[in-house]
Amino acid sequence: MTDLLQLLIAGLATGAIYALAAIGFTLLWQTSQTINFAQGEFVMVPAFFALIAMKTLGLPLIVSLAVAVLASLLLLGVAFRYVVVGPLLQRGVLPLVISTIALGIILKESVKDFYSAEAQVFPTLLPDRNVTLLPGVTVSLAQIGVLVVALLAIGLLQWFLAGTRTGRQMQATAQNPTVARILGVPVERMILYTFLINAGLAAVASILISPIYLAKFSNGETLGLVAFAAAIVGGFNQVRGAIVGGLLIGVLDNLAAAYVSTAYRQAVPLVLLVLVILFRPQGLLGRREERAV
Amino acid sequence: MTARLEVRALSKAFGGVQAVREVSFDVHEGEILGVIGPNGSGKSTLFNCILGQLAPTRGTVAVDGREVTGLRPSQLNRLGVSRTFQLLQVFPRLTARENLILAGQEHRGSRLGRLFGPRDAGLGAEADRMLDFFRLGTLAHETAGNLSYGQQKLLDAAMAFMSGSRLVLLDEPAGGVNPTMLAGLRERLAAINREARATFVVIEHNMEFVMALCTRLIVLAEGRIIAEGTPVEVRADPAVIEAYLGH
Repeated sequence: MTDLLQLLIAGLATGAIYALAAIGFTLLWQTSQTINFAQGEFVMVPAFFALIAMKTLGLPLIVSLAVAVLASLLLLGVAFRYVVVGPLLQRGVLPLVISTIALGIILKESVKDFYSAEAQVFPTLLPDRNVTLLPGVTVSLAQIGVLVVALLAIGLLQWFLAGTRTGRQMQATAQNPTVARILGVPVERMILYTFLINAGLAAVASILISPIYLAKFSNGETLGLVAFAAAIVGGFNQVRGAIVGGLLIGVLDNLAAAYVSTAYRQAVPLVLLVLVILFRPQGLLGRREERAV
Repeated sequence: MTARLEVRALSKAFGGVQAVREVSFDVHEGEILGVIGPNGSGKSTLFNCILGQLAPTRGTVAVDGREVTGLRPSQLNRLGVSRTFQLLQVFPRLTARENLILAGQEHRGSRLGRLFGPRDAGLGAEADRMLDFFRLGTLAHETAGNLSYGQQKLLDAAMAFMSGSRLVLLDEPAGGVNPTMLAGLRERLAAINREARATFVVIEHNMEFVMALCTRLIVLAEGRIIAEGTPVEVRADPAVIEAYLGH
């Protein structure tokens, strides 16, 4: 029982990171029909921005993290929007999908060639201590910290989307861009916001996950897959779905690693993906896609 | 008196096809003008040209004496010209009330206000009034996608009237609405016209609806105005009967 609780907390912590990646995924799909297969690399890269700032430029950790977030917003947000998605979007979903796959490969190989193929130790701001929550239940403060930061980011995003006028305009843009534009909603800016949010969430996820798994060029492979699976499992057209999907996969893969075999860990998101597609294709919380006639 | 809407010699060609030819008419404040005509007679194209969704090939459009030809729909919206669509155009996953607030130009104002300002943007009271007026008060917090088709049509109309629109163009408001709901919609439109001196132009296929609602009609056939007058006059016009019954 105490084992289970410990595993649950560890699972929620990784799950929350998956959720961050998955949310961005669904946001991009909703506002600009972009399925970003480079999403995993988007989570891998910001850690290297921070490493460059720290090691090459010799900046302190906290400044480096800020630089990493800023660089992510510019490159993975603005540049991605205007250089990759902008020109390709009017050519349909498929060319864009292929391009994001290419972008993922470029990012991965660039990090490997220009930085290092070795896994890099990544510093953390979170204390490296264990606390006892209940008798027999010990978890690391770092895990709690990850969970708290990720949930804070998610909470902030939910407030933004559901509690502000800008958020409502983003929802309107996602639901009916034509009418939103006629009403005078600055649709283009709303779309850019989703790209910035996606990049920001990816940077946060990167900073949270790299101390745990080390920063490595190939980290994106699993992360991208998990984010994709989490988005599908939860329901591709809902932010809430991505959160649930991410947490669920995090918990299940921790449990599978402990009770079944670590060898099957990677199979969890895929098995879940297959089951959901077979039995509930709109996702656990998703709605069936409504298409205008 | 300046007309609320003045359309002068408006033409629109798509390649070789002349969809609208030299159409001119005025709409005065408080008037309900019906635009009727057989399928393909150019009604929707005319609407789209007036509203800036299509650029007219020739001709001008003026609102309250100000020329607005070529303005974008969002700019016209800001001038108080709004429209409803033939196919429903509400935001399905926002509530009815949120739909109205969005239609009420909430996006104006500062960027910070949009983030931290009141979520109803000061339009809540007007939205509630509009919901009550269109008899949707009990459904204010229902997501629009869950409303019946007829209720969504009412919401769509209510959205067009938010923020004191000066001129509302209704594109087939009656299409697909059941007869009971239809009587309600007609009665509400007549009421808002009476009480708020709202001015509208209505495209509609449902003759009974148009005849009962509109004060004046123009009839289009092959992109040209072939008749104009009160519903009674138009109904008796031989050119109209000819256009509708064919050769």
